[in-house]
Amino acid sequence: MNYVIAESTAEVIEVLKKANGLACIVAGGTDLVLDIDTGKKSAGTLVDIMRIPELKKIELVDGFLEIGSAATLTEIHSHPLVKQYFPSLAKGCRTVGSRLIQNVATLAGNVITAQPAADAGMSLSVLDPQFVLVDEGGTRICGVDGMYAGFGVSEVDSCKTLLTKIRIRIPNEHEAASFQRLELRKSLSLPMLNVAAMGSISGGHFDWVRLRMAPVGKGPVRAVQAEEWLAGQPVTPETFSHAGELALADAKPRSNPLRGSKEYRELTLPVMVERALLDIAIQLNALEG
Amino acid sequence: MKQHLITTVNGQHIERDVDPSMRLVDFLRDELLLTGTKIGCKQGECGACTIIMNGTAVLSCILPVMKAMNAEILTIEGLDEDGKLNPIQEEFIKGGAIQCGFCTPGLIMGTKALLDKNPSPTREEVREDLSGHICRCTGYKKIEDSVMKAAERLREESHD
Repeated sequence: MNYVIAESTAEVIEVLKKANGLACIVAGGTDLVLDIDTGKKSAGTLVDIMRIPELKKIELVDGFLEIGSAATLTEIHSHPLVKQYFPSLAKGCRTVGSRLIQNVATLAGNVITAQPAADAGMSLSVLDPQFVLVDEGGTRICGVDGMYAGFGVSEVDSCKTLLTKIRIRIPNEHEAASFQRLELRKSLSLPMLNVAAMGSISGGHFDWVRLRMAPVGKGPVRAVQAEEWLAGQPVTPETFSHAGELALADAKPRSNPLRGSKEYRELTLPVMVERALLDIAIQLNALEG
Repeated sequence: MKQHLITTVNGQHIERDVDPSMRLVDFLRDELLLTGTKIGCKQGECGACTIIMNGTAVLSCILPVMKAMNAEILTIEGLDEDGKLNPIQEEFIKGGAIQCGFCTPGLIMGTKALLDKNPSPTREEVREDLSGHICRCTGYKKIEDSVMKAAERLREESHD
């Protein structure tokens, strides 16, 4: 194996191009190193992007928070801008693995590995993120649904394409987001379920809600029926409860010997949705009564 | 094919030709014979291999060795000062925070990284920061108490 410590985005693309599919990008490497060891993945060359200065940045640009793909989860969840504007994303990032994992793993990697219940990627998914992808052909921007191809399979081929940064619009005063997690233990454990929601509230009613849940399908799964029904509904506990029941229509949980049966997940998912909507209402001081 | 690695370990400049598929923990233990860093799970799940790289606690078992290029690495062997144990080590001994001792080097390095950045952590912060360290002797309460004692002592010593 060959190991390249890249110094620029252009160098990454050049190395990938020359290797013609035999080189692969590595960021934190917390999953990739193990996958190479077990034979799940292979690479003749690893291209390390963690020392490219432009990919380490976390900054405000034209009303968007931009998070470089080499920013670690610890750098993200401890960043003042993230804590100020996106506390639910900070919560998701500080839930991944353990602090030791967060010190090297990245948000970009958490999305690219495409595990459906990956906490950081899930908390990000409802913030309408824009993923900036660069390859030999140029730069393109992709949304959440263009990132996940299947269970643990990304639409982004890291042997050809570099995710350079993630852009998220700064929310206005009517908007808030929440991330909820059902877990057996608080660290070193994938969740039994996680739910992320973002909503806008005005005049005591939801203007709109984005709601995603996992692991109940490919990537962060949209609760489409619940989202459509929630627009225009009053901000009340009854609304939260009904939305939770509707979310089940889009969820296909499976039984897992470690993280709960299908039946248990179906019983608890509505509760997680209720908690997420309640959290948004509390943040926006919008709960009636 | 081997690649040339330049790094600093416990203040010592190191240059070696290494197999880039090697993990950092194997380089430390097998090439530099620094066996204080332990291998537990070798999957990033137990914390026994924790070292400090550029001021941050990391799991050396899941890091490719080339991540150490031009880095400053501190292992448990580099913690003493002129043969005297670090206050964190002394407080772990005094507090009975060591049972079989296998998790101890990792926990002490994790504690040092925490206290270097946050000299006055709350108990909750200690628990969260050290949550990636597994002690199968399950002496967590004494470990937590010893970290708090070490923090207190380091604060006092910094004021002397």
